[in-house]
Amino acid sequence: MTDSAAIPARREGVGDILLDVRDLRTCFHVMDGTVRAVDGVSFTIRRGGRLGLVGESGCGKSVTALSIMRLIEMPPGEMAGEVRFGGRDLLTLDSNAMHEVRGGEIAMIFQEPMTSLNPVLTVGSQIMEAVFLHQEVDRGQAREIARQALADVGVPDPQRRLDQYPHELSGGMRQRVMIAMALSCKPDLLIADEPTTALDVTIQRQILELIKSIQERTGTALLLITHDLGVVAETVDEVAIMYAGRIVETGTVDEVLLEPRHPYTRGLLASIPSQGKRGYRLSVIKGVVPNPFRMPEGCKFEPRCPYQWEQCVASEPDLIALGRPDRTARCWLRDPRFFARRAAYDAAPSPFEAHE
Amino acid sequence: MADTVKAHQLATPAEIEELNPEIVGADYDVQLESLSQWQLAWRRFKRHRMAVIGSTLFLTMVAIAIFGPILVPYDFYKAPPPDEIVYAGRPPSIARPFGETGGLQRDVFALVINGVRWSMLIGVLATVISSVIGTIVGGVAGYFGGFLDTVLMRIVDALLALPLLFVILVFTKFLGAGNWFTVMIIFALFGWLGIARLVRSVMLSLREEDYVDAARAAGVSSARIIFRHLLPNSLSPIIVAATLGVAGVIIGEAFVSFLGFGVDIQTPTLGNTLNGALTFISVGNWWWAFFPGMAIVIIVLGINFMGDGLRDALDPRARI
Repeated sequence: MTDSAAIPARREGVGDILLDVRDLRTCFHVMDGTVRAVDGVSFTIRRGGRLGLVGESGCGKSVTALSIMRLIEMPPGEMAGEVRFGGRDLLTLDSNAMHEVRGGEIAMIFQEPMTSLNPVLTVGSQIMEAVFLHQEVDRGQAREIARQALADVGVPDPQRRLDQYPHELSGGMRQRVMIAMALSCKPDLLIADEPTTALDVTIQRQILELIKSIQERTGTALLLITHDLGVVAETVDEVAIMYAGRIVETGTVDEVLLEPRHPYTRGLLASIPSQGKRGYRLSVIKGVVPNPFRMPEGCKFEPRCPYQWEQCVASEPDLIALGRPDRTARCWLRDPRFFARRAAYDAAPSPFEAHE
Repeated sequence: MADTVKAHQLATPAEIEELNPEIVGADYDVQLESLSQWQLAWRRFKRHRMAVIGSTLFLTMVAIAIFGPILVPYDFYKAPPPDEIVYAGRPPSIARPFGETGGLQRDVFALVINGVRWSMLIGVLATVISSVIGTIVGGVAGYFGGFLDTVLMRIVDALLALPLLFVILVFTKFLGAGNWFTVMIIFALFGWLGIARLVRSVMLSLREEDYVDAARAAGVSSARIIFRHLLPNSLSPIIVAATLGVAGVIIGEAFVSFLGFGVDIQTPTLGNTLNGALTFISVGNWWWAFFPGMAIVIIVLGINFMGDGLRDALDPRARI
């Protein structure tokens, strides 16, 4: 694995870079062997930037987020690589300093608003706890900050909500509370791990709009983790597509969604149901995610890839830059040696599109 | 004509008030009364008839334990003059409702009240201490897991493997020297094992909850997560176990004292009172043993019913 060397250095505006994940590897030693959940992931987020981390269930996106926060339980888990944040490597930071970073500088929103709030503590006391941990304030001030935070995320009647218990709020309200809690300490980076997955569609939009508007107003950088390309299109500027623990394609939203350069991305896009495909069988990517104990030798997507040939079985490609360093794809088709095959990929319609 | 039109119009609030002031007096802004978990639990508890009876019994005994000495205005330690002594004691009468003991002619009513007082004190104190120890050990073991968990739980296993009764007998005999405080401490030091296991098992499942991850992501320390976030969530089984633990200690103390290994005979616990009654049952003095025995039965029964009720009332899955 020589990924880290192959990752094109992103040097433009170095001072701007807030989070620089380099060759992050997280594995879990379990009874049946070792699962490499995150295997050589590198990406950067600029101050105020928005990155979407996309992939299907089990591809390692949540583990990436938890690794950045260093919330991986260490006896079964093991981490390597670097997570540079504000000039420090979070993976080697001592645990007291890490407590300061968590919640204070990097905040996180979780997938399940219904269960992410403690049922026995009031909403107010939970927000105030976060405030007390990271700011020097007295009770009255903390309560005011909490009330303001709730008001900022559009919770009606915040004064009353402070003294309510989570079970008295709806899912959307709870997710707003989670966001209020995350933002109450004005973090530099907000990690949102599938923040809208558990919500229904109308609420999803509201929550995304909210995250986006707060992000724009406060200048907090955003790492949005999702499996929903629609959410990505609406919310972030840059995208990294993950598959089987590694990044397979990066670029701006337009680049990746309009001109996918990795067959996996193309498959993902093709499997979005839409009005135009009415009457056709829903397209899917054939096969399943590889068994973590028996990863393919070569490209991890090769067993499911309609374009695969011997090269893909033999070895795994690095992230290959496409014109500029931030636009990459981990596919042999992008290697200049296989120009002919690439032309076929670019010209032909997606073979993922199922026909009647 | 104007009148008929008016009749078909909707009445204005002022008109309604004129017609029926009470309706308007009611708050129209109907807000669903939001109940905290404790209010919900109280509602469920009230529906549990045995629990209400049990807790009434228990609270009565607690009241007796606290206010008992006021009910007995005379000094029961003082022996009566020799000419009043009847060897077998006197059976219950109007003046002495529970009768008098044989031998020293003490008032059984006063003995029972003081017995309840001492037994309750020992039972409650020992249980409070053992619950605290058990909660800390179980909480730490369950939350951190791994090596710490293994070590702590093997200690618990080892202690549980001891025949507790004999250990307590030996300890009370050689360390206690009859001092009620020492006896209480010994019960406390051996009573936390069950609670530790219980709390550990609850913590093992609670630590996987999403809100624990959320709290950790907010930078909350482990100790704070255990005691502020997880402990309140595991409080209901702890309360139930502790309640039943009081009954256990009271019976245990009575048993140990009855065997003569417990609290000093000068301290009138229920067990000691029963012990004294032993030699006099054969001469027909049943009331000396009966009333303290009944006191134990009522306390324990009350606690058990109350514990059952609490278990149901505090079950968060229960619907009203």
